[in-house]
Amino acid sequence: MHNFILFIRRFFDLILFLGLQIICIVLIARTQNLMQGNDVLSSANMVTGYMYDRQSAVVDYFGLRRMNDSLLSENVQLRELLARFSSIDTVQVENVTRAYMDGADSSSVVRYAQYTYHKARVISNSVSAADNYITINRGSDHGIRKNMAVVSGSGVVGRVTNVSPRFATVLSVLNTKQPISARLRDGTFSFAFWEKGARPDELFMSDIPQEIRVSIGDSVFTTSYSTIFPRDLLIGIVERIEIRQKDNTQYLRLSPATNFRNLQYVYIIQDDLIPERRALEDSVKKKK
Amino acid sequence: MSDYLKNFLRFCLIIAIQVLILNKIPLRWWSQPLGFPLFIPMIYPLFILLLPFCTPVWLLLILGFIAGITVDSFMNTVGMHAMATVLIAYLRTNVLNALLQKNQEEYAGQSPGVKNMGWFPFLTYSFFLILLHHTVYFTIELWSLTNIGYLLLKILASTVTTMLFVITYLLLFTKQSARP
Repeated sequence: MHNFILFIRRFFDLILFLGLQIICIVLIARTQNLMQGNDVLSSANMVTGYMYDRQSAVVDYFGLRRMNDSLLSENVQLRELLARFSSIDTVQVENVTRAYMDGADSSSVVRYAQYTYHKARVISNSVSAADNYITINRGSDHGIRKNMAVVSGSGVVGRVTNVSPRFATVLSVLNTKQPISARLRDGTFSFAFWEKGARPDELFMSDIPQEIRVSIGDSVFTTSYSTIFPRDLLIGIVERIEIRQKDNTQYLRLSPATNFRNLQYVYIIQDDLIPERRALEDSVKKKK
Repeated sequence: MSDYLKNFLRFCLIIAIQVLILNKIPLRWWSQPLGFPLFIPMIYPLFILLLPFCTPVWLLLILGFIAGITVDSFMNTVGMHAMATVLIAYLRTNVLNALLQKNQEEYAGQSPGVKNMGWFPFLTYSFFLILLHHTVYFTIELWSLTNIGYLLLKILASTVTTMLFVITYLLLFTKQSARP
């Protein structure tokens, strides 16, 4: 026993060093797990969230002009969409009018008020790490939950990973952990992903069979297979096409629809049907 | 001003510079000339480098862990910065022993700095430990050797930029001796 105490006193520094390193390794290994982030030691906690909030309150003034422009272009897009649904020329298309008249009892039309949009301000952002996170100034007090989808005015941004009462962190699409399910114009499904060391303005899609015809400028959308993103959100636009010689597949480079360098405001999409769907899919997995 | 207060204030200042200014550099469009990989200069190891000579190793280790975890929670990389910082905190004493002319006990109440070590030994000391810190950090972050060129480029670019910031810090915060 005496020798043991002497041993500990002799090598106390080394033992402390190894102990701290082991704590670090455990922490790193735990956060690599996808669905459970580390809530306490993330930028969603009170102190870090508060500091980022103060900082962005000052810095945001310098980006107001650009912000204004992006909101205007989003407004134009939404107005066009609205016009497409509301202004049906009743003189030319008689069938449409009749359909409206006939379906007067609305009971036959099932409406799903499936999506609710929350708005949030980006208070911290990164693009240079291997997995990039965004901190937003909305949290569980405002109805934000884990794994909700986050989009900007122009396209997909990421999914919520950590939530505190007033802040939340978002794992952006620029990560190496989780690809998004993506769809080409003709309906081919694949994954859009980001590579380690890639620039923040490129995403990739691999393993597209060669017989699928892709052209530069095609849009890539999210699919309904994902349990996080609603379908038909714009992910990016095809920028370059390469053919991989070894397995004769096409390798696409996309330019993402969102400019990750100057995100200022984002929308968080609350999908009311997702919990039911996840529960069902998990129960199927458990049975196996 | 007591040593504790001085080091605490330095900790707050360095972490604030790191988190609020340096971490935002890659967000600017000019941060990437000619497709150069994005990198962040990390000056917070300077806090460990500038602690007084007489700090015992166990305290260095714990302070290194605290500094690392603080930066980690700002950057959402739980454990990675802490691991690299604990490593350099452990090796600090050995590197200092190799570089100093006298025994460490003779520098009672002083901190490593340009004045008592001279420019060249101090820069060697900080360059070596910062290079080690960056190597460990970026290796853990990427955790693959498939694009080793990218990894090396990122380590080198980041170390050089960090050293520029360290030199700036030293020039700003070293008291000049009063001219006769």
